Amino acid sequence: MDQSTRPLEGLKVVELSIAIAAPSCGRSLAYFGADVMKIESLQYPDVVRLFGSAWARTPEYASVFTDTSPYLSEMNANKRSVGLNLKVAAAVQAAKKLIAQADVFLTNYSTPAVTDLGLDAATLRALNPRLIYAALPAFGSDPELPYYSFISWGPNQAPLVGLDAVTGFADQEPAGVASFAPPDYFAAMHGLVALLTALEEREHTGVGTSIDLSQFSTTVAALGPYLLDEQLSGTVVQRSGNRSAWYAPQGVYPSRGEDRWVALTVTDDRGWQALAAMLDRAGPAATGGDTGFAGDAALGSVAGRHTHHDRLDAALTAWTTQRSAAQAATELQAAGIAAYPLNDTEAMLVDPQLSEYQWYKAVPCFRFPNGDLVGGSALNLEDTPGHWHRAFPTLGEHTVECLATVAGLSDQEIADLIEQGAAFVPTEPDLKLKRPYEHVLGLLGLKGQRR
Amino acid sequence: MNPPPSSTYSTGSQPWAGLRVVERDGLCSSYATRLWAALGAEVVVLEPPGGHAYRHLSPFAPGTSEPEGSLWWAFLGQNKHSVVVEPGSAEEAAILAAADVVFDEPAAPLVPPAPAHERQVYVAITAFGLRGPRANWRGSDLVAWAAAGLSYVTGFPDRAPVALSCLNFASHVTAMQGIGAAMMALAARRQTGRGQLIDLSMQQANTALHPEIGVPLVLDDAVHRGRSGNRRAISRPFGLYPCTDGYAAIIVVQPAHWMNMAAWLVEVTGVEALGDPAFNDMAVRWEAAEFIDTMTEQLTSSRSKGELFIEGQRRNIPITPVNTVADLARDPQLEASGFWVNSDHPVIGPHRSPGAPFTGGQDWWRWGRAPLLGEHTNDVLARWTAPS
Repeated sequence: MDQSTRPLEGLKVVELSIAIAAPSCGRSLAYFGADVMKIESLQYPDVVRLFGSAWARTPEYASVFTDTSPYLSEMNANKRSVGLNLKVAAAVQAAKKLIAQADVFLTNYSTPAVTDLGLDAATLRALNPRLIYAALPAFGSDPELPYYSFISWGPNQAPLVGLDAVTGFADQEPAGVASFAPPDYFAAMHGLVALLTALEEREHTGVGTSIDLSQFSTTVAALGPYLLDEQLSGTVVQRSGNRSAWYAPQGVYPSRGEDRWVALTVTDDRGWQALAAMLDRAGPAATGGDTGFAGDAALGSVAGRHTHHDRLDAALTAWTTQRSAAQAATELQAAGIAAYPLNDTEAMLVDPQLSEYQWYKAVPCFRFPNGDLVGGSALNLEDTPGHWHRAFPTLGEHTVECLATVAGLSDQEIADLIEQGAAFVPTEPDLKLKRPYEHVLGLLGLKGQRR
Repeated sequence: MNPPPSSTYSTGSQPWAGLRVVERDGLCSSYATRLWAALGAEVVVLEPPGGHAYRHLSPFAPGTSEPEGSLWWAFLGQNKHSVVVEPGSAEEAAILAAADVVFDEPAAPLVPPAPAHERQVYVAITAFGLRGPRANWRGSDLVAWAAAGLSYVTGFPDRAPVALSCLNFASHVTAMQGIGAAMMALAARRQTGRGQLIDLSMQQANTALHPEIGVPLVLDDAVHRGRSGNRRAISRPFGLYPCTDGYAAIIVVQPAHWMNMAAWLVEVTGVEALGDPAFNDMAVRWEAAEFIDTMTEQLTSSRSKGELFIEGQRRNIPITPVNTVADLARDPQLEASGFWVNSDHPVIGPHRSPGAPFTGGQDWWRWGRAPLLGEHTNDVLARWTAPS
């Protein structure tokens, strides 16, 4: 392997997955060169395919609706799609031939569902002793456990594991983490660690292993210190808005414009002295009539600043509302204080740091000839970086090539599978689509690469 | 010069036995290095004389104080070795030179991090990355939520956006991305023989949580994402609903789940219209959000979160309780799965902590306690820096 080769080139992964947790884990493997083959069904498509796109909810696009969700590339870039209807026995046999050649089987189907299909850990590891079987169901794979048969979506997990109860202001019902599902991604990150650990172990032992990752247990651990506190002192941690027990002031303050905000944290006394000097320099007209912060001994400690947090919030709000979020953050950072504008999604596209790292890129795509947009990876390995070479696959795009070259089926066997409805290939291969934001894609890479 | 770390680390039966990992001061490594230590790596925390940052964070065990009594440290320090050296000293350099992997959180103004030897994997964790116009900007957990686009969409529309600020969650996400990257670099090292630098930012690490409100989505449908309170603005029921002792989370997406929910709602409210097949479409339920919410609250407001959880799941509806740490401490699944691990700490006393987040091979996990400040200084200096 030369330095430009990705670390997981040659690793074969079969993925049977839905939504975020397992797909997001497989995404990292695919980014670093693994050949991730996602088994997909027409009868039971991944829910991400069902989301589709708003503009595609017309009869004109009905036949390719499952290729239109913008989530698809975020979760499944670089992967191959193998179309198998696993309700047909011949399809399960084909899947097993694929898995017999694989290093990893990755799934977040429920354990009863994979067991019904005959794709449980015991069966597959007997078939392929080098296989690493990674299951990431919501509540684990042990049928003896009380929640074994329970179901949840990603957004159910944040409340369950205790994240929602501590998110929001103390005087209001929990805000929760409603717009995205941290436990899904956190589970995926743990899944990557589990898989790379199993691969390390296989280097020494020559055999695979079975990984069982419950999204529930994985994210509960994020409350570790507070679980200890409850146990030792009976204290139940409460939500406290944006305030911190360790730093003051800390908060999210309104800035100039509609629904614009800036976040700041004074992480130590040095930072406080800098902020106090800045507020004093601005003068009472800029801080709601308040002044004399630097010399106020009552504000010299975190505890003192906590006591007077309302006063500090009033002065900071007066100061921030006179500036744009970017101006406020820039002035605060110049004084050495941690601060940033609250990026909305539109701002993420032009964020100077994300742009520096080319976070959003247009990547070649079967259905969108001008490319589809994919976010990056935080795993910046300087010498053996990952990269995207393909956006999401269309349903069944790689059925024939995977069954032929990986599973070792003959042309006739593959034709028979397709004939009997056990396997499928893309419908409408010639129907090509355009995103409504094609002009942006040109700025983000694909057209540039072709010039 | 000290001997380089051994090229193989298969001396024990745990998967990472023999691997030497050094963690420097900061908040964005400890969550993941705790896992690595429990999976067999030898994790040395290079602490400044005043102790690692997590030793100073509340809550503290009753009757204790820093540097030994922090429950953050008791949890995140588990299985690790504590070495106290003066920053910039020869001892510090010797420990760093003996490491396979270093987790470093350099402070601004940044100087380019330098791995100590060719085989070293060096994870440099910063707020915004090692390059770019804001490379020297300072960060915090709250600031990471802001920069990753997460705060803006969290909270109620009539109040300021909020974050998971008491958990250091953005720091833990960063740590998890760091260990993933380091293990990936070790996979590369197995083939190239060389280590490498990893440039990890809190902003990018947490932007990985962003796809559900992400740029491709917003460009595609041109709908600005704001705060929607504790229910998500895509369907109903989708979010938190009040009950007798708190809240329950009801997330109904699939038609089958809705049909189960509708049957329950009809039983409770007597409103037959809820059974109309048109509501099987999640988009239609979103158009009728107020109606569905009112009906759902009729169901939830007279039941406890435990009842809603168990009866909802019996009916095959994705319902979970909004748990507090007190609820979780008594959760039957966590209890039955052997999730908790016991340790005894000389200052804190006996306590139990969350254990393995996943299971793997038979001998993957071992759990001990957090070290006292400098407890392993002499031992590690002797073992890691002895001439070979």
